[in-house]
Order: sequence, then structure tokens, then C-alpha cells
Amino acid sequence: MAAGSEVYVLGGYQTDFARNWTKESKHFSALMREGVRGALEACEIAPEEVESAHVGNFAAELYCMQGHLGAFFTEVDPAFSGLPTSRHEAACASGSIALLAASAEIEAGRYDLQAVVGIEQMKTVSAAEGGAYLGTAAWYEDEADGIEFPFPKLFGRLGDEYDKRYGLKDEHLAEISRINYDNAKLNPNAQTRTWYMNKEHALCRTDDNAAVGGRIRISDCSQVTDGAVCVFLASRAYAEKWAKGMGKSLDEVPRIKGWGHNTARLRFADKVAESEGNRFVLPHVRSTITSAWKRSGIGDVNGIDAIETHDCFTTSEYMAIDHFGITEPGESWKAVEEGWLEIDGKHPINPSGGLIGAGHPVGATGTRQVLDAHKQVTGQAGDYQVEDAKNVQTLNIGGSGTTSVSFVVGV
Amino acid sequence: MSSLSAAEVRKLAKSRKIEHVVVLGANGTMGYGSAALFTQAVPKVTFLARTKAKAEEGLGDAIRQVRSPTVASAAEVGDYEHDLEREVSRADLVFEALTEDFDVKKAIFDRVEEARRDDSIVATVTSGLSINALCEGRDHTFRENFLGIHFFNPPNVIVGTELIPGNDTTPELVDFVEAFCRARLGREIIRTADTPAFAGNRVGFKVLNEAAQLAEEIGPVLVDRLIGPYTGRAMTPLATIDLVGWDIHRAIVDNVYENTDDEAHETNRLPDYMDKLMEKGVLGNKTGRGFFWRGEDKVRHVLDPASGDYRPEADVELPDLSYIDQVAKLHSQGRYKEGMAVFMKAEGEYAAIARKALAGYISYAFHRVGEVTETIDGIDRIMGTGFNWAPPSVLVDTIGAGATVEMIEKSGLPVPPALAEAARTGEPARFFHHETINRGKFFVAG
Repeated sequence: MAAGSEVYVLGGYQTDFARNWTKESKHFSALMREGVRGALEACEIAPEEVESAHVGNFAAELYCMQGHLGAFFTEVDPAFSGLPTSRHEAACASGSIALLAASAEIEAGRYDLQAVVGIEQMKTVSAAEGGAYLGTAAWYEDEADGIEFPFPKLFGRLGDEYDKRYGLKDEHLAEISRINYDNAKLNPNAQTRTWYMNKEHALCRTDDNAAVGGRIRISDCSQVTDGAVCVFLASRAYAEKWAKGMGKSLDEVPRIKGWGHNTARLRFADKVAESEGNRFVLPHVRSTITSAWKRSGIGDVNGIDAIETHDCFTTSEYMAIDHFGITEPGESWKAVEEGWLEIDGKHPINPSGGLIGAGHPVGATGTRQVLDAHKQVTGQAGDYQVEDAKNVQTLNIGGSGTTSVSFVVGV
Repeated sequence: MSSLSAAEVRKLAKSRKIEHVVVLGANGTMGYGSAALFTQAVPKVTFLARTKAKAEEGLGDAIRQVRSPTVASAAEVGDYEHDLEREVSRADLVFEALTEDFDVKKAIFDRVEEARRDDSIVATVTSGLSINALCEGRDHTFRENFLGIHFFNPPNVIVGTELIPGNDTTPELVDFVEAFCRARLGREIIRTADTPAFAGNRVGFKVLNEAAQLAEEIGPVLVDRLIGPYTGRAMTPLATIDLVGWDIHRAIVDNVYENTDDEAHETNRLPDYMDKLMEKGVLGNKTGRGFFWRGEDKVRHVLDPASGDYRPEADVELPDLSYIDQVAKLHSQGRYKEGMAVFMKAEGEYAAIARKALAGYISYAFHRVGEVTETIDGIDRIMGTGFNWAPPSVLVDTIGAGATVEMIEKSGLPVPPALAEAARTGEPARFFHHETINRGKFFVAG
């Protein structure tokens, strides 16, 4: 990256993912408003300072009968009227795509301060209806039409593919679930922080933990979540000014050190067919991770202090473990057994609780991961702080491993 | 009564092992709910009740409440006659959840005192009986290790928890129990003084009872509309009394009325009509009839407090309350300050009644500082996390100190000095400082 084109992450705000905004009789705009106002307050930024906004959202048209979400940003404060805004969609990776677009504009020198909002309100509909909406992140006609809960089934097939190539035990998936739920108990914004969960329950094969798609049971799934996350990205010039005002040095302000972004073919079967003979089950995901390292000047996963990964299901985290190179391909179970993924382990994954524990408001997840990365590298993660975290990497995935985005956030 | 930092909590929670909890009264609602909670954090939890069959019922209810058969893996069951002394002698924590009757609790504590180890912790989940009275005259090791841990029902959902030390409870024990509850049970801990109904119920039931008094004048439907979700609560006040149970409501407000003498004393006097109707079996949802009941046709009927009769809610004529719709619309868009400003300026006698109820809540809460908690923060947190009501400080911050004082004055209620000061000087600019508690969630747009 050329000098002067760095992108700084000033901070942001996450709404409490345990909230049910439909029960509060709230409109989508309230979620946007609380997310953005919370970030302005947390970062001590006056609304007049914001130059542009990018909104990441998957399916408000379906969940909330509302499109044109970029325009809703202008409703948050009178000072935002007239700002250039836009909305970005890439299924569960929507939040990261919004971050990429905002950071590209900063690198291009167009703007100095950008608001990036990831947002999804999902509890407006029943679980089955919501499951069908999520099916539009796959090739709907071929992979979701007429199928109840299509996504658990697709990610069940990811587990089956691992099983076929390398072998896979349910107890390792249950342990991944257990770690995410345990970490979520430490995160005051996590949706499941008060839920009753333990490894024994995750291994339980009764109706209390029903199968929803092949080997995927309820405890293997991420949550249906309402939430908004807003982060501020800034140019070096703005970050310097802001840091001074906050009594910080620029060195203390995290940067997006690198990023990766790949899109694989839409259908899961096509992805798997393409990867035949490859050491990695989802090679494009691997490429996203390694290109983020390359752009950050980081050699491998040993240069990363913690990971916020896309555990939409336990199988996706199982996949992420070897794709990050924590183990050899097919040996993710070793990291699970050795305790490397715990907050105080060798390679902590999802100290926040991830999508399983913290929750998964689809379009907000990518921004939530970057905000959590920011909290970690600035020592503000509270009870789920990873000691001395300097570089944290995210992995955000849309569809069945289709759109992958990764950021390295560090100081 | 100070609270611990996160780092202190982490350290303290590991300083002592809690490996065996005995729950007495494990078949009651608070008993099995608390026992289920303990199984998340403790390898062995003994459910004790009058009979083993009742303890087993409690275990079944615990499993159903948290929807996990794994509760049973940590659980054992037994009865008082055969198992109490043996289990209590082995327990690290004895948790009493018997019926809210002083003599019943006293009798079981006599046995606990005989059987327990000198260093074991003894806790009661009482929601109002005096902690000091419950351990009075007992051996010093009992008194030093005895305290109230007041979970709210259902404990797997409501995290707000009051911790009530007695005069002789050692500070180290209180610190440890706070750390254990926060780190291992995921509780939000509020330390309160050993005063009638402690902090949450003292403040909350005053508001509920005032709503019940008001129902006699203007009817339950209008009361629940006026003191509805838009004023900062998920559930309306009279529906809350029906859910809690009229008998429980009576026990709490009678206790407060008899044992306190504060500036709002009469608001804690149970309305006579409630006493009379309770004799006829009107106890709220548990008997099907309260302020509201649903007929077989599922139509909601509403009580006429004077006659005790019910009529369909649809037949109740309400005055013009269009200001509430305006407030709710603003709340639904997250414009809470603007919503509350409309409420403050709304004209007419009914808006004034609603403001008086809210003013009463804020004034009463701030006047309890120093009596039930050291600062307003404890009351704020228990109202937010125990009742799911907008904490008094959140209301003041949203309405503004000046407008709040004006509302309290116009309602003819005493203005708390801290609010008068804030209105005059602008300091503090904000009363509520918990970044992890979303203020907006309390302003329900109903």
C-alpha cells in the first residue's frame, strides 16, 4: 500500500445482539439509528465530520419490506442529509463488502472519514420463513427451493465432504460449539450470553438439540439475530487529527493492514467439484486468507494473535481452522483437542463467541468482526480480551463458501 | 457496598471452589429455577424437597425450564427427612428457596446450622424477609457466611440479582459470592441493604401498586395504556401484577407498608378491592382471573374493580390518547428523546396522570439512594436487568433533568436533591453510564 493510503479503524459500536427489535415494536430505522449514534458517541465524532456512508445488508427487502438502505443513513442525523451513501449486498459477507468499498474510497483519496454500517433485522418472521430467505444466498432454484432450512443442509454437506476426505467426528464439532458459547458468556453484547449450553448438550441427540440438516444440530448453528454495527474508517490525515483530539498517538490507532476477497462459484456442488485433488476443501477461502496476509506483510497464521471467523455452522469453523493453516488440511481436530482455540490458547478463534455465540445478524457480521478485532488490538475487549493482541484477522463468508472476505486489523 | 472490577471478579471467582450446592425447596419455582442455574457452573447440585418425588418433580421442571436434559447429569435428588443432614454437611453452598414464611425458613435453618461445615456458605433467595432476622441468634460461623441471593423469576432469563449481606456477613464472603455469581452464573449483581423488599421490589412494586390504586378510579385498561410500554417497560403494570400473582404482590407491598415510613407511604397500601377479590380466588394468571382474563373464546376481558365483574376489553371506551401513538411512532424509529418530549408536553388530564406515575417512579427511586443502595446505580441496574424497565437514570437522561424536575413538581411530588442540582447546574450531564446496557431497548413502541 502506498504511503498515505492507509485505512484506519477508529472504533465503533455494536447493539446488544440479544435484543428482539420486533418485540420492541421497532422499525428498521431505529436499529440503524442506535447503531450509528452509538458509534458517534463511542468515537466522539461529531455528525458533521462524516463524509460518506456504506451500508451492508443482506435482505431487508424480505425481512422488513424495505430497500434503499443507504438513504436510511441520512435519517440518523440532520447533518447527514445530502451525504453520498450506498448499500452493499453479498449475503452473509455484506458487512465486509461495505468495509471494502469504504476503504477503497479512502485509499483513492476521495474521503477522509467514512461510516460503515452492517445491519440486519431478522426476527420479523418465523424461523422457517427466515430459513427460506437465507436460501437466497445460495442458488435458490437449485439448492433451496422447497427445502426446509437449506443452509444447515449445505453446511452439513461441508462436514460430509470433510468426512469423506479426511474423517470427521461430531465431538469435535460439539467442542467448537462449546467454546463459542463459553466465550459468548464473557461478551456483554452476545446474544447467547445467558443461554444454557455445555458440551454435553451440544453432543445431546434428543429433541432438545434437534437435527436441522444432516449432521447439523441446533447447537451447531449460528443464531437468528437483530443487530447493527457501525465502525468509522479514516484516512491517515483524519486519523492523525482524531488521535490528537483523543489524546492518543497515531500508533495506537488500528489500521486495516491487509485484506482478501474472493468469490467462488455459487453452487456448493460446483465448489466441491472444483476443489477435487486440492489440499483445501474451499481453495478460494484459503486464497482470501493468504492474500490478506500477503498485503499485511504477515507470513502465516503465527503472525496473527486472534481470529474472528465465520462460524455460521460448526463445520464452517472446522473448515476455517485448517484453511488458516493452524493445522494441516484435514487435521482441524488437533487444534480442537489441544485447546489452541480457547481465548488463552495458541490460536484463539472467536473470543467474542462468533456467530454461534455472539449472534449472526447477517449483514452486520463482517462489521462486527472488524469491530471486535479493533477492540482486541486496542485492549478494549473486556472479559474476552486476548492478551497482548496486536494483529487480529477476520474471515467473513457469504453463501456456502461463495464470497469470502478477510481483514487483518492491527496496531 | 462497592462493586468489584472485572479483573477482581475473575481473580476472586477462582479463589475458592464451589463444587456442591444443596438447594432446599427445589420443587418450588425459585428452587428449581435456581438449581438449574447452578448446574451450569457446579459439578454437583442436590435438589431437596419434602419428598423425593417432589424433588424429582423439581428436577423435571428445571430440565423443562432450560430445555436441556443435561441438567440431570449434575443433579441428585433427595428429601429432608433422609438426606438433608448428610448433603448439607458436604455442601459448599446451601441455597434455601422454601416458601416465603419466616417460621418455615427458620425451622430448616435450625437443621442446616446443626449439619453444615463451619466454612460453608448459606444463602436464601427470599424476596423480602429480613436477612438479619433470619440468622439472628445463630452461631457466628453461620452469620458470617449467611446472605441473601435474590434471583428474579425466571432466573435463566432474568440476570438481575440482588446480593444482601447481613450485619455479620464477612466482606470477603460477599465479594466472593458476587464474583461467583457474575463470572460463573452470568449474573448482574446489585448489592442492597437489608431493608424491606430490598431495592428492586421496593421501587418496582410501589409503581405497580400505585397502578392498582389508580385502576379503581379509571379502570385497568386505561391504566395499562397510560403507564404502557412507551413509558419505558416491556410489560404493562397491571398485566405484570397478574403475572406475578396478586398474593405475591400483596405480600410484598404489605411488608413494605408495615415496615417502612417513607415519603410515598400511602402508595404502598394495598387497595381494599384487591383484598376482597383475592378471597374470591382472583389471584392473577395462576387462577385465570386478575385484572384481565381470557374467556374460552380467547377474548380478553377486563375487571371492574368496584363490582368484581368482567366485561370484554373491546367494550371499554377510552378517551383521546393520540399523544401515545405519536410517542410510540417516534420510539419505533429510535427517536426516544423526541418521543419523551412529546409525552412531557402532551395536554389533558390523562397525560398528566401518566406523567405523575413516571414522576413517582423517578422521585421514589432517587429518594431511596442511601437507604436501599449506596448510589442510584444499583437501583438503575436492578430496574433495568430485573424488571426490564427503563432505569430511573435512563429516563432522566432521555427526558432531561430540567423537564424531569418540572414533571415531578407539577405532579406534586418531592424533587430529589440530585435532580434539582442537575437541573440547576447541568451537572452531571448524564446519570447512566453503562455502555453495555442499551438504553434504547427500554423504550418499547407499544
